Amino acid sequence: MGLSTAVSGGGAGSSEAVRICVFDLRRGQQEGQELDKILYFYPPELAFSYQLSVIGLSEGLITFTRIFSPNAACEVIEAERHSHIFYQAEPDIWMVMVVEKNKELEAIWRIEALRSVLKEAHSLFMMFHGPIRPMLDKEPSGELLRTNLSTFFTDYLSDFSAGKKLQVPSFRDTLQEKGSVQMLTVGREAAIEVQSLVRVLESSAGNAQCHSLVLFHDLLVSTSLSPEDAVNLYTYAVLRMTPRALSSGTSSWSYLRKGSTAVQTTTSVSASEQPYASRDTSQTEDSKYLLPRPLKQSKWSKGKDGFLVTNAAAADVRNSISHPPTVWLQQSEERMYLCAYQHKYLTIIVLIPVASSNSAEQGISMAKQQILENASLKISKVEERLSKGWGGENAYHVTGYRYLLLDGDRSVSRASPPIKVTTLAKESLVAMCKVREEVDLEKSRAKWDDKGHEKDLEVCVRAKNNAWVIARVTRGKELYMVLEKGGETLLYASDAMEKFSNR
Amino acid sequence: MFGEASTSLSSAGSGGSGALSHVFIKYPPMRCDTPGSKGMFYDDANKLLLSPTADQVLSWKVAPFIPNAMPSSDPIAEGPVLSIRYSLDGKILAVQRSSHEIQFWNKETRETFSQRCRPESESILGFFWTDCLNCDIVYVKTSGLDLFSYDPEIRRLRLVESKRLNVTWYRYTHESRLVLLASGSQCKTFTGFQLSSAGVVRLPKFEMMMAKSEANNKPVLAAEDIHIITVYGRIYCLQVDTVAMLLHSYRFYRDAVVPQGSLPIYSSKIAVSVVDSVLLVHQVDAKVVILYDIFADSRAPISAPLPLLLRDYPRLQNGTLRLAYKDASMEAKEVNIQEPVLYGDAWTFLVPDLICDTVNGLLWKVHLDLEAISASSSEVSSVLEFLQRRKLEAMKAKQLCLAITRTIILEHRPVSIVSKALDVLITSYSRALKNGSYLKGIKSDKASASSDSHNRSSRIPVDESFDAGPRGKSVRTEFYTEVGPAVQSSIYSSSDSEVEELSHVPGSSGAPLDANVPDQEESQISSSAISPDDIYCHVFAPVDDEMAGDHAYLVAILVEFIRSACLERIKVYPNIHVLMVQLLVRSDRYAELGSFVINKIIEPSKEVAYQLLESGRQNSHTRKLGIDMLRQLALHHDYILSLVQDGYYLEALRYARKQKVTGIRPSLFLEAAYSSNEPQYLAAVLRFFSDFTPGFKSTADNATYCHILSDTTTSIAA
Repeated sequence: MGLSTAVSGGGAGSSEAVRICVFDLRRGQQEGQELDKILYFYPPELAFSYQLSVIGLSEGLITFTRIFSPNAACEVIEAERHSHIFYQAEPDIWMVMVVEKNKELEAIWRIEALRSVLKEAHSLFMMFHGPIRPMLDKEPSGELLRTNLSTFFTDYLSDFSAGKKLQVPSFRDTLQEKGSVQMLTVGREAAIEVQSLVRVLESSAGNAQCHSLVLFHDLLVSTSLSPEDAVNLYTYAVLRMTPRALSSGTSSWSYLRKGSTAVQTTTSVSASEQPYASRDTSQTEDSKYLLPRPLKQSKWSKGKDGFLVTNAAAADVRNSISHPPTVWLQQSEERMYLCAYQHKYLTIIVLIPVASSNSAEQGISMAKQQILENASLKISKVEERLSKGWGGENAYHVTGYRYLLLDGDRSVSRASPPIKVTTLAKESLVAMCKVREEVDLEKSRAKWDDKGHEKDLEVCVRAKNNAWVIARVTRGKELYMVLEKGGETLLYASDAMEKFSNR
Repeated sequence: MFGEASTSLSSAGSGGSGALSHVFIKYPPMRCDTPGSKGMFYDDANKLLLSPTADQVLSWKVAPFIPNAMPSSDPIAEGPVLSIRYSLDGKILAVQRSSHEIQFWNKETRETFSQRCRPESESILGFFWTDCLNCDIVYVKTSGLDLFSYDPEIRRLRLVESKRLNVTWYRYTHESRLVLLASGSQCKTFTGFQLSSAGVVRLPKFEMMMAKSEANNKPVLAAEDIHIITVYGRIYCLQVDTVAMLLHSYRFYRDAVVPQGSLPIYSSKIAVSVVDSVLLVHQVDAKVVILYDIFADSRAPISAPLPLLLRDYPRLQNGTLRLAYKDASMEAKEVNIQEPVLYGDAWTFLVPDLICDTVNGLLWKVHLDLEAISASSSEVSSVLEFLQRRKLEAMKAKQLCLAITRTIILEHRPVSIVSKALDVLITSYSRALKNGSYLKGIKSDKASASSDSHNRSSRIPVDESFDAGPRGKSVRTEFYTEVGPAVQSSIYSSSDSEVEELSHVPGSSGAPLDANVPDQEESQISSSAISPDDIYCHVFAPVDDEMAGDHAYLVAILVEFIRSACLERIKVYPNIHVLMVQLLVRSDRYAELGSFVINKIIEPSKEVAYQLLESGRQNSHTRKLGIDMLRQLALHHDYILSLVQDGYYLEALRYARKQKVTGIRPSLFLEAAYSSNEPQYLAAVLRFFSDFTPGFKSTADNATYCHILSDTTTSIAA
């Protein structure tokens, strides 16, 4: 096939099996200005001609498919050696991921899982920098956006790197769901205790409407954010702020970094950050760019007072005023200061509206003081209570079952602990991956067919290794499970599922 | 309703009569002057004020306190009267004629007999009737106590027991059943006996503290300097030390007397009253009262010293006499009463809350002005605690508590303060529930006036302080005869029933010597405890109406309220949860609403489920929560109906089959399936009913829809 050769030929210079590009269909429509379309390309070292060929192909397909389906253009292309996954992040802003269909069996994936990576990347980018389109409107050259995207993706993709390569979600991750929140199940009393704390937290900035997010270990306890914003902030917190994220950051990555920076301290850091740092200083008036690299590894560390601080700001000598990081909320379209407090395994994030205080410093320090004064007792009480009820990493393991439970309405998921999922045979996982693929297809079909009416669906599949792979969708809730030691009959499988559903 | 309460609160500071005070006496007083009276005697056991004349004794009942009560009279023989008391059953009148003789007169048999003592070696200091099991009357003599029982057969007293010790003077109050015997040169060595129906308890000998003024001048303690008081069912003794200007307090335990600290005094003459377990220390010279609530360890006064107030006195206004009462028969009397002199020399303070003006023959009852007290402090939670401990004017205290809570919410006080206030109310309610006084209160409420429970406040009289009617009396007598002090269930100490035991370390495990107080039992009947439902009706509902807008604040308060109720394991009624749902929906906080419902902070109930369904019109997730709640509650019919409404009729049928729900209307499902324009679904529904509903095939529905089905299928085929 012509296009597959074009891709492989252009990509000969890189061993990377994954390419990601972000482009704007409204730009570079004139001959000779095609490069203007490209907002970001991974790997960045690839030749522009190659980048353009990927984008050109995508653009062509989008334009073509729009003729038939103006509202939902191309979603995926399956070529012989590659899959192209499309995601329209904002009107005419597209993100495309190209993954190589490797000979190795590991390269079995679910298209939706890959798309969720793009989606997550965009959501996180938006959370820190705001939507892309207004940025382009504001600054037509797109320089700033490109730098932001470039640093953002560099930091974001660092989490996916396995050795030199990017590791995209494969069938092994089929019992996980990106873009969903994992909740801690608490009893009523604990929940009330938590809510009581939340009220105190959210009133800590006077009359301004604050939001909060409370995590225990890596699980969400409570939030007042809308599901979308909650997912983003939760994802970010789990990546960078929870005790586990903090400790892993210091143990591996930053330890090495410390060794090198001990001598050259700021110079090396600022040298590497040169392009962004210089921009920051030129843009300090604009609050949007105060958080240049929120996703940088080991950005956060725990301060003496229990509040988390960003060390990136401290490292940047020219940025002498330490600006508190901000996030942009999708629901309220409001910019909020992010203030995080950690007590043992309890991580508390309070969002304070930027508009509420004239001076960031003052507003934040006031809020922090309020939190320390009014909430610290409640915080330790809540922590104690949650610790008491904490069942450990495998708290949500159900013997005999490997499952994933999704609540689409609230973007909440609950799954068997990863360590238990790894005990599954490859066949089971691959089968589950296929089933999920089917369900995804069915779901998207239902979405277009019958809006507002959710489909009920039940699939039981006997895999090659005699495992039962079951999917059940009822009224917005999805349950996927694998039973390897299941009985012979379908009846057994459906019984097992009934039992599980009733829990 | 709300408006009324708030105005009453705002005017509370002025006490309604323009002067600032926390304690008042109310005009008109009880008039008990009689020509030829030989003095006034107070029989505290029977709550009678006795006024003997030459040939008869007039007695006024002082509880309940009715100003224009008419006295009853009994004849007595001529002679001096040193002391006079009716027996507890009211049948025998005992009159102390001299220091050697007490005369008895049996009301029923109209017989008289006397009991004397040896005049040479001892003299009678006084006597009192007791409800002790084996004796009826106790003589206090200089040589000790003599316990007698009355034998109606032989019409004589039989000596049961004697306690030998030297006595200079004594103090006794019937409410504490405690007699304190003073001895020693300074009269500061005391021996106490509690003579209750549980038996006689002898307290260890103890000495009172006395400051010395000069080296050689040893002050002698007088009987007037000692006050036995009963607060919250505990017995204290207050001792005035005029040299140190302190009021020492002691608490009595079965095996010890423990000093409880001292209160400053500002007058050499001190009088003490107890109103509803609040200690009133009258600084007679300074003409002010200081209030103490001896409940916690704190000995700080409730508020600053303020004068006693005379309420409702008809002063001359614009040259005309304004009369408080329109009763014509009263008018003549009232004109005669001159404006009373507060803290006049003739004032005698009677236990616990009466003041007798012996010169003018007037009896005043001391009242607390709860409104003024609560308005004088800004410490909301302590005011609420104080009010919640009030038993006498329980309804008023309750109204005040509700008004205060409402006000602090309306004033947007910090959530922590409101939360503390709610904690106080809930804890006190839970305590009331545990000891049953709340339910009793409700019962008596219902007995006295039956009305809708939601409007409980509207029928409550403003002032219930005189409410100790026949109901109270009956309870009291019952207590005398049957239960006695062994029950003594005071709310405040857990070990009351352990009266039998004697070996207790005071203070620690504590066997506090408690008053055997029937009055307390009686007043417990109306409790100031506020149920969550009351709080909803009188605080949250009106507040929600008043302050539209600040939902976050109200939600925060509701969360605190639920937390507090949860801690005390008190059930919160669905209406509060419904309100919470409404508030969250109004502020568009659907995500939080979801987590509240899922974490069961909002407890599932039918009301909540329907509120969720209602609110779900704007938000489908919320509607789903409501439907799920119906299923959880096993409200099968409601659940199935909601499912059908949302178009999930197949799911509904499946559920109906699984839960064996009968009595569903096939037409409902058939219509829904028909409107979906899917012959498949219609066929499925038809099949379901023809398979599982006996006799369905013969119904009109079956025929209609079969017809429709065949029509549509043929049209499709064509």
